[in-house]
Amino acid sequence: MTATNETHLFAMQALSTTFSPALSPATSTAFSLAGLCAGFDDPVHQSQQVFRRALTALSEPGTVQNVPESPAPEGAHSASYQLCLTLLDAETPLWIAPALRTDALVSALRFHCGCRLVDEPGQAEFALISPDFDGDLTHFAQGSHEYPDRSTTVIVQVESLDAASTWTLRGPGIDGIRKVGIAGLDPRWPGMLADNCRQFPCGVDLMFTAGTALMGLPRTTRVEI
Amino acid sequence: MTSAASNHNSDTESDSNGYNFAYLDEQTKRMIRRCLLKAVAVPGYQVPFGGREMPLPYGWGTGGMQVTATIIGQDDVLKVIDQGADDTTNAVSIRRFFARTAGVATTESTLAASVIQTRHRIPETPLSHGQILVYQVPIPEPLRFIEPRETETRKMHALQEYGVMHVKLYEDIARFGHIATTYAYPVKVNGHYVMDPSPIPKFDNPKMHGSPALQLFGAGREKRIYAIPPFTRVESLDFEDHPFEIQGWDQTCEFCGSDHSFLDEVVTDDEGGRIFICSDTDYCNQRFETGARQEAV
Repeated sequence: MTATNETHLFAMQALSTTFSPALSPATSTAFSLAGLCAGFDDPVHQSQQVFRRALTALSEPGTVQNVPESPAPEGAHSASYQLCLTLLDAETPLWIAPALRTDALVSALRFHCGCRLVDEPGQAEFALISPDFDGDLTHFAQGSHEYPDRSTTVIVQVESLDAASTWTLRGPGIDGIRKVGIAGLDPRWPGMLADNCRQFPCGVDLMFTAGTALMGLPRTTRVEI
Repeated sequence: MTSAASNHNSDTESDSNGYNFAYLDEQTKRMIRRCLLKAVAVPGYQVPFGGREMPLPYGWGTGGMQVTATIIGQDDVLKVIDQGADDTTNAVSIRRFFARTAGVATTESTLAASVIQTRHRIPETPLSHGQILVYQVPIPEPLRFIEPRETETRKMHALQEYGVMHVKLYEDIARFGHIATTYAYPVKVNGHYVMDPSPIPKFDNPKMHGSPALQLFGAGREKRIYAIPPFTRVESLDFEDHPFEIQGWDQTCEFCGSDHSFLDEVVTDDEGGRIFICSDTDYCNQRFETGARQEAV
């Protein structure tokens, strides 16, 4: 932990020396840390708290978990951003849907997580998308029958997770059935989720976020309308 | 920016021994956290992870400890049991380890705990929603003694080719007249993966089915993590004419008189004297105390 912070401090000093306006005015805006969105104040405990909510979200699909309020870059929901800060690092290729790929988000994730951004959704271990993204869930890594864990975890930013209940969920983590209402999904979604579930053990795992709210939908969950 | 604030926090919270919160570094925790999320999403599938060396030997619960270190937070209350007991060497050392490196509260009460790390037992007191049970696993692959090649066992899981496991159980029936496997009894999770429940007695297998608690399994030497989400179907393998049965005892617990808990046989002298006592010390103490109180009234 201490080492991480020292690295960050060092990086900041190095950046500010190299790209101070006096030395290179042309690059100062591009590399300035002035507009950079903050990461966790206390990475060890905040990431643990967010992880536990993510773990509960995926192990009890359809329940709404709330992460604490914290600033997020423009275009990213607070829950999505905190999930990224918690789970991403240099080992995890990330794909961001073009609509969400803002400079603020990209630079914040590069700085705080050091993660690699990939151009192909199929190469990504994590993906950040909006519901109207171009393509369907099979574009992401599905894992293989031998290694179903090698699949993409997809974070989907939606309008709200507490809309009127339209879906009935069944599967592991659910005692009987659970009703959920996710606002802002286009009509392709139920079909895509049914296909995703049918491929078990392959398939992607989804985390829906809206503001600070978070809901998990692993590949084992069956969705009925 | 944020760095000044976090330095301050880390100084006040890091232990005097200089280790990170809960011993493991953040990079390792992130890697294990990602594996845990995949494990929960594919119940019963063994996710490979980059197991770290822990400051105790393999076989002492290094896998369980890495899972516990990864999930535990400041507000958690930790209970550690070894064969049901809170007061044996393994349980005491692991409990102390986390009290020292994470500063978390510890307990011997199953009801008070939010995280329970266990070696080879599921507590008798029913677990509740929100609790996490972390198992220490020596050999995560149930097919390993039948098929030593990892490439083959992976294929067998992928194709759900579990006939050999039934043959193994059938050989028991052919030889002894009943299924003689009494611990690490294989289960099928959510109708797909056959899973080793770790060497818990088969007495505990029914407790895994539909449990409201989240069950996580860590194998340190073999570097595998797997999970059973709450309310998941867990069936012990059996045959229509030889259904799964748990063991029972003619005796009752010498201390609390329980006739329904898992009993340990204790030799008391060298003349054949023996008593039976509950293996779950917390459960036995609870019963003993309430029983004693009732007698006093």
